[in-house]
Amino acid sequence: MAKENEKSSPETQAASPPRIGIYICRCGGNISDVVRVEEVAAAARELPGVVVAKVETFLCSDPGQQTITEDIRKENLDRVAVACCSPSLHELTFRGAIARGGLNPYLYEHVNIREQCSWAHPHDRAGATSKATRLIAAGAGKLARAKPLEQIRLPNHRRALVVGGGPAGMKAAAELAGFGIPVLLVERETRLGGWLNHVDRVFPSEEPARELLARLEADVRGSSRVEVLLGAEVTAVSGFIGNFQATISGALGPAGSPIAVSATVGVIVMATGFEPYVPAEGEYLYRQSSRVVTMPEFLELMRQQPLGIPRLRFDGRDVRRVAFIHCVGSRQVDGVNAPQPDGKINAYCSRTCCTTTLQQAIEVRKRFPETAVFDFYQDIRTYGRGHEDYYLQASQSGVTFFRFAGDEPPAIESVEHGKNGGFPLAISVKDSLTWGEELRLEADLVVLATGMMANAHSRGIIEMLKLPTGDDRFLQEIHPKLRPVETALNGVLLAGSAQGPMPLHESLATAGAAAARAAALLRGDAVEVQPFVAAVDATRCEGAGLCVEECEYEGAIALVEQAVEGQTVRRAQVNPGLCSGCGACVAVCPQGAIELNGWRIDQYEAMIDGLVESVPEAAALTR
Amino acid sequence: MAETFVPRIVVFATERCAYPGADAVGKAHQEYPSNVDIVRVPSPVLFPEDFYLRCYAQGVDGILIATCGSDCPYRGAYEKIARRIDTLTSRMKQAGMPIARLRITAICTVCIKAFLKEVTQMNDELRHLGPVDRALATKLWRESLARRRSAGKLPRTA
Repeated sequence: MAKENEKSSPETQAASPPRIGIYICRCGGNISDVVRVEEVAAAARELPGVVVAKVETFLCSDPGQQTITEDIRKENLDRVAVACCSPSLHELTFRGAIARGGLNPYLYEHVNIREQCSWAHPHDRAGATSKATRLIAAGAGKLARAKPLEQIRLPNHRRALVVGGGPAGMKAAAELAGFGIPVLLVERETRLGGWLNHVDRVFPSEEPARELLARLEADVRGSSRVEVLLGAEVTAVSGFIGNFQATISGALGPAGSPIAVSATVGVIVMATGFEPYVPAEGEYLYRQSSRVVTMPEFLELMRQQPLGIPRLRFDGRDVRRVAFIHCVGSRQVDGVNAPQPDGKINAYCSRTCCTTTLQQAIEVRKRFPETAVFDFYQDIRTYGRGHEDYYLQASQSGVTFFRFAGDEPPAIESVEHGKNGGFPLAISVKDSLTWGEELRLEADLVVLATGMMANAHSRGIIEMLKLPTGDDRFLQEIHPKLRPVETALNGVLLAGSAQGPMPLHESLATAGAAAARAAALLRGDAVEVQPFVAAVDATRCEGAGLCVEECEYEGAIALVEQAVEGQTVRRAQVNPGLCSGCGACVAVCPQGAIELNGWRIDQYEAMIDGLVESVPEAAALTR
Repeated sequence: MAETFVPRIVVFATERCAYPGADAVGKAHQEYPSNVDIVRVPSPVLFPEDFYLRCYAQGVDGILIATCGSDCPYRGAYEKIARRIDTLTSRMKQAGMPIARLRITAICTVCIKAFLKEVTQMNDELRHLGPVDRALATKLWRESLARRRSAGKLPRTA
């Protein structure tokens, strides 16, 4: 909390000359072994507005920070610069320190003299010293023109929209409800559960999927806070964190006819899931031979099998041999696999098909002891705890494995089988398990272990929100390790396989994480965002509107009517919640009336003047 | 003397990509000349054409605009920057100001080699060119500023 005293009041800061404190870090020698820090400090003391310039060994340490906070009081400093490591490490540390010292945290400037100075010029002490001096002069110039900023507070609507009612969406909705947050759960199908409805048992626990779904659905339906809309889709959505407006169409209203529902929500959880890869016609004879099926089709076939028969039955015939082929639609190779309609191949691994295939192979061997199983794979990627057991068990149950290279996938042909008892299909493979032997194997049924594709039905909402997707078309997180369930659009979170192929336990884990993150974002009445957005100086704006034309973010800048000296005029106004802070508007304003908070053009000009200040004839050019 | 001339080079480096890229160079203890000063910027789309000319007028000999390229986090910003730099380059060319003083490139967070190549090449070229013509730059800056100022004027009906 900023202390209420005269030095943190913007008016007095504007009126009186700045009182700058500059702190130079030795970084335990990382900086001072190269940069002559005492010389730099002496030069800094000569800069306009600088009251204190000190050298310390570790400014980021508690005593280091304390030196700064004490000086703020003792020397009546009103702004502070620290010259040390990269801002990525300690900019926030020192903003916090000067806030504790009673200053506005944005009256701070970070100067990087380690990564971009001492470490880059270790054999040029004079050059590095002079560069550090210049960088500090630039920082001080920028800092002298800094204005106090406040984090932007926007209303926060405590309600969540969960898009997708599969296991991840249900889990996220139930968790959010558990945090006391009202949830709108939208599912495109007319029942909850998504693709898990088509699964018999889940690996590695072998629990019936039906039971898991029943428990998830009970959590959702049992909460008065979750409103479920089935057969519905998000048809319009806009806004920003705390303030998204969504229209959901297609759900049946009380009269039994489809209605459109409008909702204002604070966060959106994208649990839009995946869709199974569907092979192209002719890919491994798919759709050309009725005896080539995909994994979802095979799961359905297994569900319909009667009990107590020795052989798997398909299309009224016994299946003596079934062959599984891995990596269909996954780990595709450029030039070997035909590209998808968007021109790209699916280079990624779908991560679930290996274990699913082995689970089904074991199941066939267990239930139909007279059906032989062939398994054609590139690599067995049984990700996850307990998954490798499936491979061991499959080997032990007599499954025969063949290994192919990604650029030499097996080939399938139809075999004339009018003669009694012949096999209808033959699979040729160059098998690396037998040192590249060319094998030809016949079978009654081929199952393609199809992978996951990004759900095409989610494209509409992704485009409306302009959410980033990866090269694999799945939704992309901000950072795969540090911010794994957040998207670049603040307030939009990721749950489950909308983010990429993942097994059920990971889907549910990310759904839980997304719900927790969403609840954290919704905890206050207002959301606070960094103040680095555009701001209009109303005294300079003449309403030319070039900024509005230049802006790529709809609604971020608008011309609004205002009364100025008794006349109604149009002036630019920024909606801080929609402004991305790119600064495109700044460059086009004829009056220089719109600026980016924290990065104003006059601050940059001061930086340049600081960098070239040792050029004797350099006098500031002003506009 | 052309041999002892050390140019002043300013790199405008994007916060998301090029600035961490320049950090990566230091972290890897890779060396480059100390006359290269790096200035952090959310996106160079912020700078009007006249801003760059003012830099030259103040004595900056070379400017390297180090962007995020197609990884730019801001919608349409990269295309706007590229267009602005195109216009600026052709104005400089017309006025007889060497366009080697202005470079634009994409530097990613781990693009150490690309960064080193750009700043080294720029240094070599500018050493040959000698100091910037500040009077010419000042004239161009004034013209450019006037052009921006007048962009807001609505066409008057006669």
